[in-house]
Amino acid sequence: MARVLVVDDAAFMRKMVSDALASGGHEIVGEAGDGAEAVVRYQELRPEVTTLDITMPEKDGLEALREIMALDPGARIVMCSALGQESKVLESIKLGAKDFVVKPFQTDRVLGAVEKALA
Amino acid sequence: MSSESPILRLSASTTEAIERALHKHSADGIQRGAVHVRADAAEAVAGLALPAVAADVSYVDGVTGGNVFLLPIEGARRLAAAMKGTDPDAVAEGGKLDDLELSAVGEAMNQMMSAAALATSSVLGQDVEIAPPQIRVIEAEADAVELLHSGGSAHIVTADYTVLGAASRLIQLVPNAFVVRMTRALDELTQEYTSAPLSDSLRAVPVRVWAELGRARMMVGASLGVATGSVLELDREVDEPIDLYVDGMRFATGRLLVADDGSLQFEVEAVTGLRPGAVAAEQPESPQPATETMEV
Repeated sequence: MARVLVVDDAAFMRKMVSDALASGGHEIVGEAGDGAEAVVRYQELRPEVTTLDITMPEKDGLEALREIMALDPGARIVMCSALGQESKVLESIKLGAKDFVVKPFQTDRVLGAVEKALA
Repeated sequence: MSSESPILRLSASTTEAIERALHKHSADGIQRGAVHVRADAAEAVAGLALPAVAADVSYVDGVTGGNVFLLPIEGARRLAAAMKGTDPDAVAEGGKLDDLELSAVGEAMNQMMSAAALATSSVLGQDVEIAPPQIRVIEAEADAVELLHSGGSAHIVTADYTVLGAASRLIQLVPNAFVVRMTRALDELTQEYTSAPLSDSLRAVPVRVWAELGRARMMVGASLGVATGSVLELDREVDEPIDLYVDGMRFATGRLLVADDGSLQFEVEAVTGLRPGAVAAEQPESPQPATETMEV
């Protein structure tokens, strides 16, 4: 069971991720629709796990990841993005993300990624 | 070479990538139709089923162009149902599109265009970045034309799809920079394949040659976990021929030999030749029939 912040610019995707996590018993403590909001919400909520989309307006997910890791080097972040580009995946992991889930995803895959991040 | 061929080559990689992305939401509800190069925006939108949800994704990094996917309301609602994991056929006809369904279509478009950008990156050999989708409902052809004008001087290609029974259209605004790069790539390929004798100056151009034993695909997570002693399974049986590549294009198939001095040699069994279709693509094609054999 973890307190999770869900970040995606598509309301539909926030709902899909939230529903998947709730089905695994996790608590959704907040949502954000772009990278800038994600950084603000992270500081307010200090979630145990954050899921982060990459392609978003204002500030993209990689920039948000960089800023959150700078604020809290212990942050547990799971990237959840349609972008399968190898450079994005590797960059995310180098920046400190715990896992990379490619959309569209299966519920088990998201739950597995969150559990791995918590381990 | 006319500009049509590189445009169609680029378009083909985009339309196929989008079809694959749509298939993830509905394995049997997606069909791909005709592809046309269009003279202008008015021609590109003619005959659209309206009203439709328009999802507009542009390229970033200073390239003018992008893609617009137009999906009639009914199709949008069925696609959203499929994405939620519910039965698309259970969607009542004539209903209104709600915000969550609109957001679902935007997300589907984001996934489609991410797949397309990846495909374009791989054909052009350069990274292609996209912006988040802009979603709106288009009521009239004139509104759709206006949407396309933001694409500037890009080339226009349309591709029709049937999405869960709804006649939909992808309108590609192909940036001129992509066409120039693709033209160069195709020129390099076709030059090699002309049967005309090579000029002396070309004969002296060095090329890279390598033999490929097999390929494997893995997730990046797994690749980071590869350690000394790890065993990867390749897509090739021990008695299958291996491929010889010349500057990135598969040129021949053959077998490995060991010379008396212990060095490895490649014995050519079949020359497939340099053709555009033989390019070292992400999906290796099935072996071509032998056109000619030679011994080395």
